[in-house]
Amino acid sequence: MRGFGRFVIATLCGLVIALGVHIAAILASPYLADQDAFSKVQATLTADKAQIISAPGGANTWLPAPDPATAVATCAFDLRNGPMRVAARTGSLPLSFSFHKETGGVFFAVTDRAAVRGELEIVAMTARQLDEARAAEDENDPSRDVRIVAPELQGFVIVRVVAPAPSLRPQAEEMAKAVSCTAEQDA
Amino acid sequence: MQSEALLTNAPAAASMRASSRPSLSVSIRRVPTAILVVYTLLLALGLGLGSAYWAINGAPPFGGLRLGPWQAWPRLGSPEADPYMRAIIARRSDVPFATGEGIGFTASVDSDGRLLDSACSYSIGPSAPIARVWTLTLYDQAGRLPVTELGRGNFTSAEVLRDTQDRFSIALSRSVQPGNWLQLPAGGAFTLVLRLYDPPGAAGANLEESEMPVIQRLECGA
Repeated sequence: MRGFGRFVIATLCGLVIALGVHIAAILASPYLADQDAFSKVQATLTADKAQIISAPGGANTWLPAPDPATAVATCAFDLRNGPMRVAARTGSLPLSFSFHKETGGVFFAVTDRAAVRGELEIVAMTARQLDEARAAEDENDPSRDVRIVAPELQGFVIVRVVAPAPSLRPQAEEMAKAVSCTAEQDA
Repeated sequence: MQSEALLTNAPAAASMRASSRPSLSVSIRRVPTAILVVYTLLLALGLGLGSAYWAINGAPPFGGLRLGPWQAWPRLGSPEADPYMRAIIARRSDVPFATGEGIGFTASVDSDGRLLDSACSYSIGPSAPIARVWTLTLYDQAGRLPVTELGRGNFTSAEVLRDTQDRFSIALSRSVQPGNWLQLPAGGAFTLVLRLYDPPGAAGANLEESEMPVIQRLECGA
């Protein structure tokens, strides 16, 4: 009976530790994942233009459950190289940007409804770079940039362009590819 | 000398033998303690990692929004995503819709709660929530776009044919149907994903079940 009691205590201890292991594994997995979206888009860090990761039609993509009606393009960024400016010329097709952290999770999103005179332009920067940009700014000529603060140094932008009809798919792909992402040198 | 030593040692040995009985029971107790510790740790690792693996391969356990057969996780693409959502996104190498960008609803059952089966035929309609564009896409069990003879696996709000009251009906079946027809894959279960691009208001917050399209099972053939 005493041995059985010890066995029960050991099992209970095991269950409690298992709970801790479970929580630790769930919390750690986005940081340990080597097959997540960021590691797959890292190759686009040096590109000046967004790279297509899922062309309309949904063929040849690593994205799970791709929407055949959308073109998905991406640019990875590393804010150690300076703030990143993402710019697109909007058209008749719905276009949206979403900004993702390296460890997954969205920190900002915008659609082309926010475009000004057919241009949608966002500058992602760190809090420090924002302070520097504000300090360097000319008071009489304030910048019109839309600035957002990124919570992490690395991340990626996802560009989605919807083609409501199959005949618009090539146009959607061209629009997604034409999005530029350039690292700005600190002034 | 030796015999004397033996003689003098004999009682000592006897006493050792006597005292070795409790120490023996101590050592018997100690071995199970080590085994119990190993058992506890193995149990903890096995259960902890196993349940974590099981959890990140499934659907997010919290924060779901269910409207009839349609299921969505509006917080998946927001900074408030919970740790399970983050782990699942990393595991799937997925890029979820951001809040404000759109929302994706998945259905793997019909409106009566029965699993979607390629052997049956279905009708989807008559309306969809307001959005700039919506797309309805068919996937097989593994989340791939099925290859069918028809060659199309989706409808968008711009393509779908509507009646005079602006209602639509999409037929899902193996065999050819008039009007909006999506061909089902050769066999097995399938899922439907309804994506709303740029919906008005906070994504999913003001949607109601009555706005979502109904998935009606018509008949099940061989």
